[in-house]
Parts: sequence; C-alpha cells; structure tokens
Amino acid sequence: MAEVTSVAETRPSSHRFRRARNRVPVWHLIWLVLAALVFIVPIYSVVQFSLTGVQAGQSPFHWYLTVFDDPMFRSSFWLSIQISLETVAVSLVLMVPTVFWVHLRLPGLRPVMDLISILPFVVPPIVLVVGLLPFLEKITWLFVRPEVLSLIYVIFALPFLYRALDAGLRAIDLRTLVEAAESLGAKMPRTLLRVILPNLRAAIIGGSLLTVAIAMGEYTVASLLEFSTFSVYTYTIGTSTAYEGVALSFISFIFVWGAMLSLYLLGRGGRNAAAVAITH
Amino acid sequence: MATIELRGLRRTFGSVVALDNLDLDVHSGEFVSLLGPSGCGKTTALRIVAGFEWPDAGEVLVNGRDVLGQPANKRNMGMVFQAYSLFPNMTAQHNVEFGLRVRKESHEKRAKRARELLELVGLGTAMDRYPRQLSGGQQQRVALARSLAIEPSVLLLDEPLSALDAKVRVQLREEVRRVQLELGITTLYVTHDQEEALSISDRVAVMSDGRVEQFGTPAQIYNGPRTAFVANFVGTMNRLEGTVVSSEDRVVRCGPVMLSVPDPTFNHPAGETVELFVRPEDISLELLSNGNKPAPGLFDGRVTSLTFLGPVTRVGLATDLGPLLADVSSAVALDLAADTVVAVRLDSTALRSIAR
Ligand SMILES: Nc1ncnc2c1ncn2[C@@H]1O[C@H](COP(=O)(O)OP(=O)(O)O)[C@@H](O)[C@H]1O
Ligand SMILES: [Mg+2]
Repeated sequence: MAEVTSVAETRPSSHRFRRARNRVPVWHLIWLVLAALVFIVPIYSVVQFSLTGVQAGQSPFHWYLTVFDDPMFRSSFWLSIQISLETVAVSLVLMVPTVFWVHLRLPGLRPVMDLISILPFVVPPIVLVVGLLPFLEKITWLFVRPEVLSLIYVIFALPFLYRALDAGLRAIDLRTLVEAAESLGAKMPRTLLRVILPNLRAAIIGGSLLTVAIAMGEYTVASLLEFSTFSVYTYTIGTSTAYEGVALSFISFIFVWGAMLSLYLLGRGGRNAAAVAITH
Repeated sequence: MATIELRGLRRTFGSVVALDNLDLDVHSGEFVSLLGPSGCGKTTALRIVAGFEWPDAGEVLVNGRDVLGQPANKRNMGMVFQAYSLFPNMTAQHNVEFGLRVRKESHEKRAKRARELLELVGLGTAMDRYPRQLSGGQQQRVALARSLAIEPSVLLLDEPLSALDAKVRVQLREEVRRVQLELGITTLYVTHDQEEALSISDRVAVMSDGRVEQFGTPAQIYNGPRTAFVANFVGTMNRLEGTVVSSEDRVVRCGPVMLSVPDPTFNHPAGETVELFVRPEDISLELLSNGNKPAPGLFDGRVTSLTFLGPVTRVGLATDLGPLLADVSSAVALDLAADTVVAVRLDSTALRSIAR
C-alpha cells in the first residue's frame, strides 16, 4: 500500500520535470523565425516577382523560358563554369602542396602565410586589378583570353581556399600521419595521395565550393576586361528587362545551391567511397 | 633478428642539449626501455633511430651497420607513436596492409597477414572498423599490428600507452610484451613510467639530461641504483645522510643510530659524509607498549601520515634520522594512528650507498 502511494506521488513530479526540460524558450523560437525570414523573404520576393508581368495566355514561367532560349544565356553560363573550374584547378594545384609543405616542414612560416592570405581581403579587388592590368596587358595572348580571369580569381579565392586547407590540416595530426607512412616505407607522393588528401577531402571540397562561388559571382573585373560572363550577362539583362533579370538571379541561386548540396553529399558519402577507391 | 647500438649520440636544439653522448647496446631479441622524466631526450633518441631526426654527432648501428645514411622509409623499422597515428580514412585492415601495399605484396598475402596480425593483437573481429570506431587502446593495438606487418628489423615504441587510462594501460603493456616475446623482435620502448618499464623490459636504461644514468635489468635498477638520480626516480627511496665512523667495518652514524653498510665496495674514510638509501618496504615497525624504549638497534618514530595503497599502507614517520617512509601490511597499519610512537627497524642488508 505504501509503495503504491509513493509511486503515485513520484509520477507527476517526474513528469513535470521532463516537460520543463523539453520546453523550448520562446525567445529561441523568435530568433529562429527571424533568421528564417531573413533568408526566405528575399527569395520569396524574387520568385514572386519573376512570375508576374506575364501576359494572358503565356506560361507563368514565361521569363524563365525566355532566358533559357537566349543563346547569350547559355554561352555566358558555360563561360563562367569553364572559368570557375579552371580557377579551382589552378588554385588547388598551387595551394594544396604549398599549405601541406608549410604545415609539415616550415610551421614557422604559418603566420606569414596567414598574413599573405588575408591581403586580398584588405586590398579591394579593384585596386588589385588596376595594379595588375599594366602587367597583364603586356602578355597579349593571355590578356584576350578568359583564362586571364581565372588567374585573377585564383588570387581572389586564395584567402578562402587557404583558410579551408589550413583548418583541414590543423584538424589532423599531420606530422604523425606522415611519419607513420614513412616508417612503413612510403615515399612522399604516396603519403600525400593516399593518406593526407583523403583526410583533407572536406576542406578541399569546402574551399573549392567557395572558389566556384567567387568565380561565378565576380562582376567588376569581368566587366572591366569586357568578358561576357554569367554575372555580367545577368547585370546587362537586369538593366534592360527587370523580369528576366530577376528570373536569371533565381536560376543562378538554384544553381549555386544545387552545386553546394551535391558537393556536400559527395563529401559525406565520400568517406567510405574514398576508402574503397584507395584500396581497390 | 637485429642488434641496435647507439654510439656517442649528441643532439642539441639551440642551447638545449637533448642528447649528450648517449651510448646504448640492445641485444638481438631484447626488450629495452628508455626510462626517464619528461624532457630527458628519450623521444629524440628514438626518433634518431627511426630516421626522423639526426644527431649532431655519433652513430646508430643496426646489426653492426650504420643506418644514419638511410631515410626513414628505407630503414624497415616498426614504429608506434605516442599520438594516435592510424590513417583515419582506412579500416583497421587497410591500415595494417599499408606497408605491404608499399612493398607491392599480392592482395591475398596482404589480407592474410593483416588478419594474422590483428588476431595476434586481439582484434580479429574489428578488421573493418575505422579508427574513429575504435577505442584508444584498440587504436594502439592496430598501430602495433601495422608496425609489425612489414616484418621490421626492430620495433620502436614512443610512450604508446600514455594516452590510455590506467587499467587499459596495464593490460596493454602486458600484451605488448607478449607479442614481443612471441615474435622475438628487438624492441626499444620509451616511457616515463618506471613501473611500466620495470614490469615489461629485459633491461632498462634510466636516462637523465640526455645521458644514460644506469643500464641494467629491472632487478639491478631497482635493487642497486648506482646514482642518486636513479635511486630517486625508480620507486620510492628514503634518503639518509650519515658520517662514516669506521672505514673497515663500513659503519655509518645517522643521527643516534649506527648502521653497517652491506656493500663490500663501500670505501669511504672515517669522518666523511655519505648518502644512504633504503626503500620503504625495507623498514619495519614494531608497536611499543606504553612508555617502553625501543630494543637495541631500533629507534623510535612518530607516525605523521598514513596512506592506504591496498595491500600495504605507507606510513610517514618523524624520526631522529629525519622523515622516513615505511610500507607496512595494511592489516598491521590498522593499529596505527597519527602520533602513535613506534619502534623503527631498518633492514641494514637493504641499505644502499651511493658515492657522491
Ligand atoms: N624539435 C625540437 N626543437 C626544439 N627543441 C626540442 C625539439 N625536440 C626536442 N626538443 C628538446 O629536447 C629535449 C628532449 O626532448 P625529448 O626527446 O622530446 O624528451 P622526452 O621524450 O624524454 O620527453 C627537451 O628539452 C625538448 O624541449
Ligand atoms: Mg617524449
């Protein structure tokens, strides 16, 4: 009898305790809603706007269809993709071995690298380009090719890629891993390829993603050098027909978002995939 | 199997002398520990043998041949690191196979060897686990298996257990020793834990300030420390200061007590001040019935502290010879309390003298 009573007595209190612990404070929710609004409202307005101004009988997606039909859309889009990929390739080839080596053999140089890598933050891009122009103009064959943009974007992306790689290398015990591989007989290229790179996967993907975002979105230099990249095209369209411009920016938003998502999934699923690839 | 000889190794980092004329001989199939406090140069010595560090002077001979000209990846030495060093992107099996892959062994041979070695370290069922799915102790087992996979000439371990908790540490050190005996591999083991070194080694080299203070079997090190440093570093020692009364009879006066030193090589002129050492387990206590004086040869001490250590209790004593520690059976210690006055008996055959 006494036991029954005691059980009946403890229950409500433990129940109350649980409820109190699970309750989310109101200001948490307000915060969350505010943050969501900041993201959602502009996107919603963009979509909303891009579906208006359509004449009767036309598809509600009229502006999107118009954009897709424009050959300039396709060419500028591919140009930007090409430039982005080149930028990523050059940046990685340049930065991965450098940052690896500095971490492994010249850790004293890390503060210097930190400093160099924030220069593009401190010096405005336009100043950098104006400074570079006289030099670039001399290399005529390069100056007229879109690759020149890639080279400039490598500089713009440098801080982001460097920081991503730096963080990635800090997260692993680089020296011990390299020495372990060495003691097992491996030479440096194998160690880098089989041991270090797979563990820098997330950092490389993250850094590449930021590099793509920068190369896809850069406007000032591209328009200054008169290349018709995707952002230059978007701006031109936006100034002539507002609806198409807005549709275009939503397309690019979806594209970048999709790219991020697929790279993210690649990075997550990649762990085991990488191991399989390496061992077979 | 291989022998290792270190000859006059010297290594400085700026003004820090990490190794100061270090000599060491490791016989074939022997398990030798480098024991010493942090910063005494143990890691530096091991890394020089492994090829990750180079000496300013001296040589490293393996099987009589100088290996300093070879890079680490040509030395064929197994190394287990203090930090977790498994490749995070590979399973336990593929970690173990890594060195065999470098040596272009066939798929079947690699898999077979990885299985054998993981079974040897008790992880036959964890072959497909990634390092992040293994406990710290399991990771070090895999690291051991990985280092053995290449059939190394020697095995080098740098405090491989220091990151593990006490229980696992004790269990794993015995396993390291079992594996070493089973394979008969020449092993150089670095540790700052004297109990660890004494319990698993054939011989222990006690290091201090970049030099070997004493090199001998665990029993030699424990029972016959040759320097004050070794006496203090290995186990617990009571230090007594005394004056030589008779040189021929080797009698020393410590406070009111006359002690005869058993060591036949003890050779100090009368009147000289000497240091004597005695371990807590070589001091025994007798209860005094009220007001009685200790029997001849014994002296009295007042209990200042009692530390329960399991089977024995360590008793702190204030005596005319200065403070002493004595280990008594915990059952006996039940009769003791702070300020109890007891008769102290020093087993004079256990007295050690160390020349100053
Ligand atoms: N790479 C290095 N640079 C500067 N000093 C070092 C380096 N490696 C070791 N030392 C110094 O050398 C001494 C011995 O170090 P170490 O061999 O790591 O000692 P232990 O392993 O016995 O703790 C220490 O004083 C340490 O600070
Ligand atoms: Mg060390």
